[in-house]
Amino acid sequence: MSTSQHTGDAVVAAAKSAKHRDQQTRPGQFITYAVLALLTLVFIGPLLFILMNSFKGRFFISDAPFALPLGDYFVGLTNYTSGLARTNFFNAMGWSFVITVGAVAVIVFFTAMTAYYITRVKAWWTNALYLIFVFSMVVPFQAVMFPTVKIADMLGLSNPLGMIVLYLGFGAGLSVFIFSGFVKSIPLQIEEAATIDGCSPLQTYFYIVFPMLKPVAITVAILNTMWVWNDYLLPYLVIGLSTPYKTIPVAIQMMAGSYGDNDMGAMMAMLVLAIIPIVIFYLSSQKYIIEGVAAGAVKG
Amino acid sequence: MIKSLRRLALVFTGPTIIAFAIAFAVPFLVGLYLSFCEFTTVTNATWVGFDNYVRAFSPRERFLSSLGFTALVTAIAVLTVNLFAFTVAYLLTRKLRGTNFFRTVFFMPNLIGGIVLGYTWQTIINAVLVQYQTTLISDAKYGFIGLVLLLNWQMIGYMMIIYIAGLQNVPGELIEAAAIDGADKWQTLRHVTIPMVMPSITICLFLTLSSSFKLFDANLALTNGAPMRQTEMVALNIVNTFFTRVGVEGVGQAKAMVFFLLVSGLAFLQLRATRRQEVEQ
Amino acid sequence: MKPSKRILGAVAAVAALSLMAGCGGGGSTGSSDESSGASGGQVYYLSFKPEQDAAWQAVAAQYTEQTGTPVRIVTAAQGTYEQTLKAEMAKSDAPTLFQINGPVGGAVWKDYALDLSDTDFYNALLDKSMAVEMDGNVIGVPYVVEGYGIIYNQAIMDKYFATSGAKAASVDEINTFAKLKEVTDDMQAKKDELGIKGVFAATSMKPGDAWRWDTHLANLPIFYEYRDNNVTDMAEVSFKYNKEYQQIFDLYLTNSTIDPKLTPSKAVTDSMAEFALGEAAMVQNGNWAWGQVADVAGNTVTEENIKMMPIYIGVDGEEKQSIAVGTENFFSVNSKASEADQQASIDFVNWLITSDAGKSAMVNDLGFIPPFSTFSATEQPADPLAKQVVAYMGNTDLYNVAWNFTTFPSKDFKNSFADALTQYAVGNLEWSQVVEVFVTEWAAEKQG
Repeated sequence: MSTSQHTGDAVVAAAKSAKHRDQQTRPGQFITYAVLALLTLVFIGPLLFILMNSFKGRFFISDAPFALPLGDYFVGLTNYTSGLARTNFFNAMGWSFVITVGAVAVIVFFTAMTAYYITRVKAWWTNALYLIFVFSMVVPFQAVMFPTVKIADMLGLSNPLGMIVLYLGFGAGLSVFIFSGFVKSIPLQIEEAATIDGCSPLQTYFYIVFPMLKPVAITVAILNTMWVWNDYLLPYLVIGLSTPYKTIPVAIQMMAGSYGDNDMGAMMAMLVLAIIPIVIFYLSSQKYIIEGVAAGAVKG
Repeated sequence: MIKSLRRLALVFTGPTIIAFAIAFAVPFLVGLYLSFCEFTTVTNATWVGFDNYVRAFSPRERFLSSLGFTALVTAIAVLTVNLFAFTVAYLLTRKLRGTNFFRTVFFMPNLIGGIVLGYTWQTIINAVLVQYQTTLISDAKYGFIGLVLLLNWQMIGYMMIIYIAGLQNVPGELIEAAAIDGADKWQTLRHVTIPMVMPSITICLFLTLSSSFKLFDANLALTNGAPMRQTEMVALNIVNTFFTRVGVEGVGQAKAMVFFLLVSGLAFLQLRATRRQEVEQ
Repeated sequence: MKPSKRILGAVAAVAALSLMAGCGGGGSTGSSDESSGASGGQVYYLSFKPEQDAAWQAVAAQYTEQTGTPVRIVTAAQGTYEQTLKAEMAKSDAPTLFQINGPVGGAVWKDYALDLSDTDFYNALLDKSMAVEMDGNVIGVPYVVEGYGIIYNQAIMDKYFATSGAKAASVDEINTFAKLKEVTDDMQAKKDELGIKGVFAATSMKPGDAWRWDTHLANLPIFYEYRDNNVTDMAEVSFKYNKEYQQIFDLYLTNSTIDPKLTPSKAVTDSMAEFALGEAAMVQNGNWAWGQVADVAGNTVTEENIKMMPIYIGVDGEEKQSIAVGTENFFSVNSKASEADQQASIDFVNWLITSDAGKSAMVNDLGFIPPFSTFSATEQPADPLAKQVVAYMGNTDLYNVAWNFTTFPSKDFKNSFADALTQYAVGNLEWSQVVEVFVTEWAAEKQG
């Protein structure tokens, strides 16, 4: 089908129908809200469950997981204080923060460039590279886990900086994949015009292309932030054990004891603390997503 | 333009390729080598040829049956996740009050890691099933439903974001034009919106496919394969081979390689199929 | 494509990058190189139980202060010891001291385990047969013994013995399965009067939480089967005492706080919570259990009232049976470490079991019941359950049930068995099918 023709028609007749559309949606709105409200409950329930139980004594979490933290069940901030005492939590939060920010910045910066290059430059090796990146996403981490840890150790990457390098490597697949999808949608003419105006490829990329990738960059940044912030196995094996750089997921996982010796209360409390920064991050970056997406609408 | 760009390969792709080689490509090749070896740690491997591959397919390994179960979970999850995520994204890109709030809420599940989520869901699902005098692992079908539910819960928010980005890229004029042309809402969706967001659909299908296929944390936490390994997915099967058994690390590595080949093939087919549907720019 | 060239390039790039990373790392000092002073050796111990990490760190600091030998102790996250060890052993800075869980772990790590037969700590073992030997080498030396049985709440038992028509007057009378059944059946009937939900805390069958049944309880029939055959390991078993296993397992399921159908939703923590809250009178567990309930909000069980008795399954002569005492914690020294590091590790363990500071740390801080002759009768942990275990060990009238589960073929075997048990508990499998799983999985997993 030919969408460009539709676009042409559309520009002419854009304004008229806005009102028309509003009228159409009104009857359906109630149902829409009901569905959304129900979904909200389903989506937020488990989080409330964790929050609620973080204020209950550990036996009561087992005994009555759905009871409200009232009366005997309520232990105040005990879980929080004991959890903090056991995990060195704020230290872990610091390292999580450093590694996440560093890794995401590096991933967005470099993979966008890579994606741009391999999408624009058609050669056997850029095609192959694209496929290799894509396929790397389907390999279960466990398949490369031991060799990766060994190589990271050999290269002296068992530190936060090394983790950032490893995350760039592991994040490359998904990020390049997403970026390339959107680079394709940018009309080549814009870049050609820039070149005619005397821009070098690097200038073209940084002044023209990258700003257009902003909405996608934000999506990529968010997806990677969540992944890196919550990632457990890689930091555990590379830096979590024998270095002081424990991240939050590692610190929390270390709270579980043997023979079923689990202080679920303290664990829930630390989970709540772990979620807070990323919720704040998400809430604050959400504005940019919407703006970015609106600004990035560059379809011809 | 492209010609002068071509020379800058190292600048544009160098850092990513190097990091990718360290973290993934070289370890993957080492892994490939190890799949032909018997080993305890990566430094004491001895070559055994194809033995590991032969063993990987013996019925005792339950590798093939775990593949079957994984395929089933993946098929249902990919379908439902994308359907729901697209619907939610579609609703949330229309002029509704409180869309920001809902977006935030639906995205929340992604903010906590898989293992914890698994245990939380396990408690919640069991609390429901207790009313019927049964539990999550009393019957494989509950485990199956539980896994699909969890996957939905976990991925809908993630996919929703991508669909929203895609939907907002659909020029408003196009929709208006369709309306002027007399298309009803359904027709507009089918003939205008969906083709325009095909890149998003490609990405989302691929992401749901690969993460369902690779699902490990939630599987471990929710059922750990019970009852009788009927809900054991491939990643869990591989990890169990590595860590719960003695002297079969090579077999685990071989399984990982077979799994990789399989999923790559599948992903390749899927990408080719959906790419063809995308609107040419 | 020329992969070889690509790889070479990648490797070169990798090397270059690592140099950069090394320079740029500034504040982040490496962990290994600064410490090859003094005697030259250093200790890196990969520890096993997260709940003991703080105590181990204190021990390490103390030892370093006294001797100057650097000791680094790192604890693997719960349930990940094997995978952590596999990753750490491949590193350039590998553990010099690690732990194996018995003969099965020994088979995995035998290439990495030094022969310890000449060490002082091996020679100080009270019972040398407890050590793990392979190909004539001593590759693992136990450093702690633990005991498990049926833990009971004396307060609830006393309440029961005071009821009319009680089937026994004291716990001492319970010394066979028949008596245990008689008493607990009666208790279950009187549960409301006793203020409990059931005699036995929930039979936790949640995935990953069934080790009390697939390992500890399963140890008893295997112990007797080995004893009948006069062996310490078998490539194939007949699960000869499966009927006995079934009857004790059934007893746990029936005289319980919950419906057997719901057991797959219960974890060990849930069972311990029931016991601590006074909802159950008995729970099968080991001496580590006290530390899990003491001082926790809501605990109703006092130090004087927590006791342990043997698990009776209905074998002839079991009146003389004691609790199950043994270990799955063995020190091994990395044979691939430098000689100086090996020696440093050996010295460290010797210090732990001979010096006053080391012994105090073992007993008081780590709470270990030590299996070494260097500890006097008074140098034992103060924990009420540990005291019970020590008392049982000293009781020469009874025979000990060894921890033969360290010879169980693999974790995978235990998982398969647990899985079958779970389905039996909820009523989906016949007992004969469970037995079949046990026997076939045992044989198959033993082959490796």
